Amino acid sequence: MYRNDTVLPFFGILFGVALWYMAYLDGVHIQNLLGHTPEELSVGQLGLITFGIVFFLYGAIGYISAFLEGSELRPGRHEAEGGVAPVILTIVLTLILVALSGVFVNAIAYGLTEGPVKSSFLGQLAAGIFLIMALLLVIYKKHFVDDEVLAEDEHSEVPW
Amino acid sequence: MYRWLDERLSLTRFNKKFLRKAFPVHHSFFLGEITMFAFITLVLTGIFLSFNYEPSTRIIKVAGRELPAAYASILYIDSLPFGAVLRSVHHWSANIMIAAAFLHLLRILVTGAYKKPREINWLIGLGLLGVAVVTAFTGYSLPFDAFSVTATQIGYGIGASMPYIGEWISKVIFGGEYPTMHSIPRIYSLHVLWFPLLLMALLGLHMLIMIKQKHTQPAYAKKVAPGKILGVPMMPQQGFMMTILYLLYLAVVFFIAGTWIAHPVEAFGPPTASTPAVKPDWYFLWIYGILQIIPGDFKIALPGDAVINSEFIGGVLIPGLLGLVAVLLPFVDTRKTKQRYLELPTRHPVRTSITFALLAFMLTTTLAGWKEEFGFSNGTLWAIIIIGTLATYIASYLIIIAYWGKPPKGEAGELEEA
Repeated sequence: MYRNDTVLPFFGILFGVALWYMAYLDGVHIQNLLGHTPEELSVGQLGLITFGIVFFLYGAIGYISAFLEGSELRPGRHEAEGGVAPVILTIVLTLILVALSGVFVNAIAYGLTEGPVKSSFLGQLAAGIFLIMALLLVIYKKHFVDDEVLAEDEHSEVPW
Repeated sequence: MYRWLDERLSLTRFNKKFLRKAFPVHHSFFLGEITMFAFITLVLTGIFLSFNYEPSTRIIKVAGRELPAAYASILYIDSLPFGAVLRSVHHWSANIMIAAAFLHLLRILVTGAYKKPREINWLIGLGLLGVAVVTAFTGYSLPFDAFSVTATQIGYGIGASMPYIGEWISKVIFGGEYPTMHSIPRIYSLHVLWFPLLLMALLGLHMLIMIKQKHTQPAYAKKVAPGKILGVPMMPQQGFMMTILYLLYLAVVFFIAGTWIAHPVEAFGPPTASTPAVKPDWYFLWIYGILQIIPGDFKIALPGDAVINSEFIGGVLIPGLLGLVAVLLPFVDTRKTKQRYLELPTRHPVRTSITFALLAFMLTTTLAGWKEEFGFSNGTLWAIIIIGTLATYIASYLIIIAYWGKPPKGEAGELEEA
């Protein structure tokens, strides 16, 4: 809590993964009791996966924040360094993004005309698209956006 | 184009005044943002669902089956390309909003961010969590399948258990004794209009006050820029971080929602005369657990044929008392000076240990929700809850004191390095 370090985000990711594993074990236990895999998730699994998502997201954005913004701010302007490697990475990711988007549009069109497409496929495809967009922004911010840290007066007139 | 707009709307002034606002940087602030993004996703996916959902219990014929229209429209949504995923994203986001808001509240609690001058925002935050839970509850009755009807009946029973006013309130909300033909249209109106409007208003107020009062900053900021707000400008830097978080949120939620459809209505089937054995959603499970360990025949008679029963004690009184403690907290645990920096939880062992004890209480009462499956008696569960809660308090207090030492007296604790 003292600074924007990665101690709590580390535990966030650890808890998130542990909770997902607990949800998996819960599923295995229910499967053993019933003799088959139920179509629906149990209430316990829903809760465990939900908290797993929040802890994982918190941990991930905590790491990204420490990577992009540092653990302590210092007032002033810090210029971005740019570079060839980030440009190449951006181009590669953009191409993958375009390809995935094409597959997604085709899958939706197939679903409209031919028949149902598996929800898991569509969901994971959409997840891949969003993940690449997030990665592109991380690279862009890290290498091409100047950082600025302000030391603002506490009694500003925002919003009144 | 910019110049044209600037001459008319003074965009440069807007940029200087609002978009240059300094945002302190700390990972724990993102919990509030996850809550906000869950709400935005709920609104967006909710718009899609409202285009295709029919809020009615009238019986219609679909592919040779006689089904309630609400249930049949959910089957229709699931049959649309990507429809099941979007409905699942809506359901998961509702769960995430409650979980993230709860963890955000715990962060505010353990860092003392409810103190002067943020008491009002603490109260608004409590209201937001309460309305979010009620909105989610109204949502899971809408598919009108066997599971949702039974789970909603538990909620109806708890509401109706309040002496004198309960039955009247429940009938107003549920359009009569649930389920009636008026229930779904009324709950639908509350779920898609009135509660979201209330959430938007509270969320807007919460953010406005936060912007006015500024964040509590990480403690190191006092050494770097004393008396100032140390942070990055709202645009573009904070805007980038928020967009990255939202994209990450969507990536994780779409992956989970696609892989596990949160509420597969066909697995539950339409409502039947025989009530299936179901438990309420996880965020009500601790209340359900308390109900399980209070004898069902417990009653205290009140004048005018009213009674205090186990449903009222477990479902209204105990959560209500916890809510009252939360409401009073910023007026009991006070400070004279303005709080500008995050307090270190290790420097406030009593408050941190109480928070852990509260979590232990909620976890053990949640476990009591599986009373039948565990085969525990009421006495054993009471012992687990009471001993578990007290032991957690004592253990966490002793660990904090042993590891970080006794806190300094006064209001200087937050400046000590972790």
